[in-house]
Amino acid sequence: MNALAFAWRSLVRQPARATLGVLGVAAVGALLFDMLLLSQGLIVSMRDLLARSGWDIRVSAGDLPGRGGRVSAATSTAERIAALPSVKAALMVRVANAQIERSGGGPPIGDAPSIGGGPPIAAVFEGIGGRSRHREPIAPPWTVVRGREARGDTEVVIDSAIAAAANLQVGGTITLRASCVSDREALPPARLTVVGIAEFPFAGTNEDAIGGSLDALKAACGGNVGDEADLLLVTSVGEPAETAAAIRAEIPHLNALTNDQVVGRLQQTGFTYFRQISAVLTTITVSFAVLLIAVLLTVSVNQRLGEIAALRALGFSRWRVVTDVLSESALIVGSGGILSLPLGLLLASGLDRILKEMPGIPADLHFFVFERDALFTHIGLLVATAVIAALYPMRIVSSLPIAATLRDEVIG
Amino acid sequence: MPDVIVDAQHVGRAFAMPAGPVHAVRDVTLQIRAGDHVAVRGPSGCGKSTLLHMLGCVDAPSSGTLLFDGHDVATLSDARRSALRLKRIGFIFQRFFLLPMLTAAENVELPLSEAGASKRDRQHRTKELLDYVGLSARADHRPSQLSGGEMQRVAIARALANRPQLLLADEPTGELDEATGAQIAALLDRVNADGTALVIVTHDHTLAERAARVLMMRDGRIEQETRR
Amino acid sequence: MTPGSLGSRLVLLVLVISAATAGAQEASPPDILISRQLAAERGLVVGSIVQLAADAAGTGARTFRIAGIYEPTPDPARLGAVPREVRLHLPDLLDVTRPPGQQPGTEYIANINIALVDRADATAFSRDVNARMPGLIARPSSEAAGAAGPFRVLERFHLAIAVVTIVAATVFLLALTIMLVDERRETVGILRLIGLPVRRVLVQVLLEGVIVAGAGAAFGLVLALLSEGLINAFFQWRYDTALVFVRITRDVALTSAAIAIPLGASATVLASWALLRRSGLRLARR
Repeated sequence: MNALAFAWRSLVRQPARATLGVLGVAAVGALLFDMLLLSQGLIVSMRDLLARSGWDIRVSAGDLPGRGGRVSAATSTAERIAALPSVKAALMVRVANAQIERSGGGPPIGDAPSIGGGPPIAAVFEGIGGRSRHREPIAPPWTVVRGREARGDTEVVIDSAIAAAANLQVGGTITLRASCVSDREALPPARLTVVGIAEFPFAGTNEDAIGGSLDALKAACGGNVGDEADLLLVTSVGEPAETAAAIRAEIPHLNALTNDQVVGRLQQTGFTYFRQISAVLTTITVSFAVLLIAVLLTVSVNQRLGEIAALRALGFSRWRVVTDVLSESALIVGSGGILSLPLGLLLASGLDRILKEMPGIPADLHFFVFERDALFTHIGLLVATAVIAALYPMRIVSSLPIAATLRDEVIG
Repeated sequence: MPDVIVDAQHVGRAFAMPAGPVHAVRDVTLQIRAGDHVAVRGPSGCGKSTLLHMLGCVDAPSSGTLLFDGHDVATLSDARRSALRLKRIGFIFQRFFLLPMLTAAENVELPLSEAGASKRDRQHRTKELLDYVGLSARADHRPSQLSGGEMQRVAIARALANRPQLLLADEPTGELDEATGAQIAALLDRVNADGTALVIVTHDHTLAERAARVLMMRDGRIEQETRR
Repeated sequence: MTPGSLGSRLVLLVLVISAATAGAQEASPPDILISRQLAAERGLVVGSIVQLAADAAGTGARTFRIAGIYEPTPDPARLGAVPREVRLHLPDLLDVTRPPGQQPGTEYIANINIALVDRADATAFSRDVNARMPGLIARPSSEAAGAAGPFRVLERFHLAIAVVTIVAATVFLLALTIMLVDERRETVGILRLIGLPVRRVLVQVLLEGVIVAGAGAAFGLVLALLSEGLINAFFQWRYDTALVFVRITRDVALTSAAIAIPLGASATVLASWALLRRSGLRLARR
């Protein structure tokens, strides 16, 4: 009977204990796996999201897009950028808050809900305008799934949540009040035509979005916009890093960041909390698992010292009894580890749902992303746990004084 | 003259204690030859089990020389001593020490498996041994389903698995009633008659009387040796 | 906030600080305060003369004197960001940031922070302001973030992690108590054989469980307090902040004990109950 088979029989001998040990490892292992997914999850997800957007450089006034104010003289700035040889297209993006009336009601007064149709739907209005080399069409930061792109100053696309809540279809009319300067502006409503339903990958989980041209946004804001942009999106002809450097040289007071650089900045600031907590919890869960498996095995071994001494007296080598203990540890941790994977994925989806409720997190961004490296690290850590946890009980059996133990068993 | 299996010359065993060393065995000179049937008797604490453990290479002497098959036990590595115990020596304990999660057959098979016997050889030998001890019908029973006498018979079968030259028994009837003890004694006689040297540590005088040599120990020394 | 007081207007501006050249033009420039991190980064000290402008081109730059260096209130929402802050008198800030052509006095303020004499009045005060001053929104600071505020979300996240940890710990605890109780089966069997009823033995077991769980909870608390210091020290060093990351409050300690002690005691009783259902003879047999 080899060591693994022997270890299996030893565990099965105490099924309650063995089952609980395996379940405990499964629970701890699930948490460990999730922390490994979290450690790089945001970065991987953000990198993927940025890459899928089709734009490789983001130009902003602050150190990160969305922070530090607006880009002034946006139109001329976009033209200067678009004129650079390494730039394929430059797109201005201006964002405003909007309150959409639900159909069937009158216009709302201040903060009061609209009469008859229900409270207005809060949404983010993205207005875009840009330049491209050779006048090629520019892909907006959204994807139309029904209808067509918005053109001019009277057309918009909306997301499916607004379409459902406001009972709007393609071809319908949307009435909204936008505020481009402050939430406390009281502007007359603007009526725009819905020409398409779109997906907005950078809209937050609980955020509804509308997209249209800058002219449409200006019209909705009553012209009170100014020549400013929240962000400039750029695609490059060659290497994004070179293009970003060229933009910085052309307009030194703005920040031009490639997608990798945006991810790098986020890693140092906003995302850093999750990496830190991932590292802390990974350390704690591994230590916890080592401690508890070690205690389980040590108590188990101490209860069987007589048997082990008898096996040694019968001729079992020191190496063999040590291997038996290690095999027991491997079986408990291995079985628990296998269970921890589906459990971990289930837990990760729940934790992801919780974290995505944070304001400003794009709906398509995920905190927990499955990566092969995380799986291999998980396996490696579990192997290390099994070995380290077994060290002390292995030492007990390897240094067991056979004669003294046999004597003690008789006396005991 | 039959081959000498164990040659102990002036062996002693001392244990370090806080109050000073305790000499469990002192200056014992003894030879065990092939086919010997030896009983070791004496009051509690006289060093019988300690002597048995040294003869079985479970413990090493603190003084003197102990040769097993011509090899000085004190110079052997732990791995070599384990190999000796596995293939040349069989042990039977007062408390049986059967593994509770294995069946009777699996307990008997354990030393065969450890010695690297093939599956066929293991199964054949296991059946042979269980027949020998009269427990073929209980092969698939666990120790918790066996009586004390049956457990000891399984333990004897296990001890004989690798055809040892020497069988060492430490109070083999200590936890058994008189009738069952007599059955075990008869079985041990048969083992000895079949060629295995036997050394038994016992308080049981009826068991001791069956031996060809009886060693009386007191205070760690062999006080008297009687031959039948 | 009263006009002229040292307050701050929450604006997002790019402030350009440049050391004033020798021969600063203003005789006694107005005072400002700068954050410790900005002072360290730019090598500025109290008494340094600097110029502030609203853009990198230096439009409308004004000269100021650094009157003091302060430790910025740590902002958990900006963890990792170096707080390069400047505090000016409000009129000075308005002068620097006023767009060309805008008349003084026509600026607006986005927020007013109010410190009440009695904090408990916050809700009533907010209601009063909202009723009397249309066009303004007043709300207590604690409600500002709402349920979806980042720290509320993190709280729920931490709670979920804590629940998983407790579940795992409970499972292991049960395994350990089963083993420990099993070690004493013979003792329990003998007690039953000599006539002690099951209830008596269970009470004994419960008492032991409470003592061990209590000792464990106390030890855990000591460990947590030690870790609190280490974790805070590490992260404060790592992010150069005075933010407190872990705080073991009385409520946290009591909640932990309230969970740990009943769990530990229950695990012991549960493990023993399975054992005590067997007869004393079976338990006492080896």
